[in-house]
Amino acid sequence: MKRDRQTLPIVAIREENVSLRTFTFETSLQALPGQFIMLTVFSQGEKPFSILDVTESSFSMTIKNIGPFTERLFQMDVGDIISIRGPYGQPFSQETGRILMVGGGYATPPLRFQAKVLREAGVRYLVNVNGARSETDLLYVPDFMDYCDRSLIATDDGSQGYRGTSVAVMQDVLGEESFDRIYISGPEKMMKAATTVARQFGVPFEVNLERYMKCGVGVCGSCVMDPHGFILCMEGPVVDHKTLDKLEEFGVSHRDKTGRITAL
Amino acid sequence: MQFLGKEIPSPLTLASGILGISFSSLQRIIRDGAGMVTTKSLSLEPRIGHEGPIIAEFDGGLINSVGLTNPGIQDGLLEVEKFHKEFEGVSIVSVFGGNAAEFVRLAKAVNSSSADLLELNLSCPNVEDEFKRPFALMPEKITEIVSAVGAVSQIPVLAKLSPNAYDVAEMATLAEAAGADGITMINTLGHGMVIDAIARRPVLRNNFGGISGPCIKPLALKLIHDVYQKVDIPILGTGGVSNGLDAVEMMMAGASAVAIGSAVYERGLDVFRSTRLEMEAFMETHDYADYSDLIGLLEEN
Ligand SMILES: Cc1cc2nc3c(=O)[nH]c(=O)nc-3n(C[C@H](O)[C@H](O)[C@H](O)COP(=O)(O)OP(=O)(O)OC[C@H]3O[C@@H](n4cnc5c(N)ncnc54)[C@H](O)[C@@H]3O)c2cc1C
Ligand SMILES: Cc1cc2nc3c(=O)[nH]c(=O)nc-3n(C[C@H](O)[C@H](O)[C@H](O)COP(=O)(O)O)c2cc1C
Ligand code: FES
Repeated sequence: MKRDRQTLPIVAIREENVSLRTFTFETSLQALPGQFIMLTVFSQGEKPFSILDVTESSFSMTIKNIGPFTERLFQMDVGDIISIRGPYGQPFSQETGRILMVGGGYATPPLRFQAKVLREAGVRYLVNVNGARSETDLLYVPDFMDYCDRSLIATDDGSQGYRGTSVAVMQDVLGEESFDRIYISGPEKMMKAATTVARQFGVPFEVNLERYMKCGVGVCGSCVMDPHGFILCMEGPVVDHKTLDKLEEFGVSHRDKTGRITAL
Repeated sequence: MQFLGKEIPSPLTLASGILGISFSSLQRIIRDGAGMVTTKSLSLEPRIGHEGPIIAEFDGGLINSVGLTNPGIQDGLLEVEKFHKEFEGVSIVSVFGGNAAEFVRLAKAVNSSSADLLELNLSCPNVEDEFKRPFALMPEKITEIVSAVGAVSQIPVLAKLSPNAYDVAEMATLAEAAGADGITMINTLGHGMVIDAIARRPVLRNNFGGISGPCIKPLALKLIHDVYQKVDIPILGTGGVSNGLDAVEMMMAGASAVAIGSAVYERGLDVFRSTRLEMEAFMETHDYADYSDLIGLLEEN
């Protein structure tokens, strides 16, 4: 049997903005962008989180405080222990031609990781569109500037960069330049819109999906997507355009904590 | 071969609770080589189940404390309808109630759906905080629930038993006498615990859970063998089957069909296809013409 659980102290906590923190742990994790881990906060529960970065001896995650579990995590200090298992799931592909990345909100961590990895792999040309509600919600702006040949910003309120959505900016970029692949990570409605644009321009793409996940290893069924029984925690969470064609519930519905189908 | 009057291409069955309830995963499992699928146990109302971690691995298998997460009988049966719509495949709908009256309501609902077989989960170890001792440990409850359900069910009824009962063969005899058409056994063993020494805590959020996987196979074989001696109704054997040889052993012990649960974790969904091929290879080498030729072949020393 696989035994991949580790119990570790938090070694660093960085405040990204009012509701987002980056937690760092010391262990070597063989992980690629798009993969996730299951994180246990003792006495509280266990939840899935994307990996923001790995180094030879550490890894980190950026987490938004939105509910009881994350609230409990946000009460923790450096030195407190958590437990993790993983990494799980399929990562983004490692296409290094002309790459466009489109991200929204707190779903950008995997894209930042992907930008770093592609840069190290010698990507030919890398453009990033970083979208958020407002200036204060933007993540990793200097990092993306570092890693990318062009780094564009879109905010809903126009407080920084273009006023509007990352999808609108993406559309403009695709009108100007050609790309070999688009990597998309954001809220599902935003990704739905982005995939429509990507298809219009005929560029292959990959999206990073989220579903309610409880086991992370293809046993409990909570993340299964209709109509083909796609097991997102194992066969995703990164899904390419061909597979996405078959996932009819993308952008439409998901399953709640009991397994009931609910509108997105 | 046949199981409770249903023609099935292989004796392999998805055990209840693995990959949940969605019609699409059930269909996929049949396409991957299973003969039948069992749904996650459905209760009258939707249930969230326990907080994670709900599953922990150890060298001998898995411990789970899912706590009967399910969308409730109404939404669950919608999935069963979708499963059967334009799709060939035998479904076993598992239900869980808090008393005989609830089991009867659940059984009626299942009977008015296109489900093929009904399984009564009398043995979930993970909800004792709410429902106290599993019914499968209480002779009078087995008799009460199985006969109440039998009185309203047109489709065959399987009683799922627990390895934790003092005399499982006796429990099976009671279920048969009360009108069960088949026995499913075994449900998970124990409670067991996996401990995180650094944190000085159990790994499962719920502290303990039911044990499944390879380490319970010897127990499952013995209990199935015992029950096979005592009852005339077919047994759906489950507990620690991970490959073709395991499945053959279980049928020799007396199972008419074999359900696989935890091995999906170890070997992925492909476990159904591989196990089927491994069984067929064994049968060919040792001259068994049909799966059903294996049933109950065991000779005691
Ligand atoms: C593959 C994957 C990667 C993720 N990566 C990140 C990340 O990098 N950073 C981050 O902040 N969040 C991430 N999430 C979301 C994160 O798991 C949940 O938002 C978080 O656990 C909410 O916990 P809570 O108890 O504080 O909030 P709750 O109040 O319990 O939930 C708030 C919302 O979070 C979502 N959620 C809650 N539990 C789960 C669960 N078990 N699985 C999926 N979604 C859930 C639901 O949409 C829910 O409505 C990821 C989710 C998935 C599936
Ligand atoms: C994650 C998990 C969830 C389960 N849920 C149920 C359930 O809802 N109803 C039920 O009757 N049995 C449930 N079981 C028990 C299995 O159906 C099966 O009886 C047991 O796991 C032994 O088989 P195995 O060793 O092949 O896993 C569950 C088991 C696991 C591992
Ligand atoms: S989260 Fe359990 S099957 Fe995917």
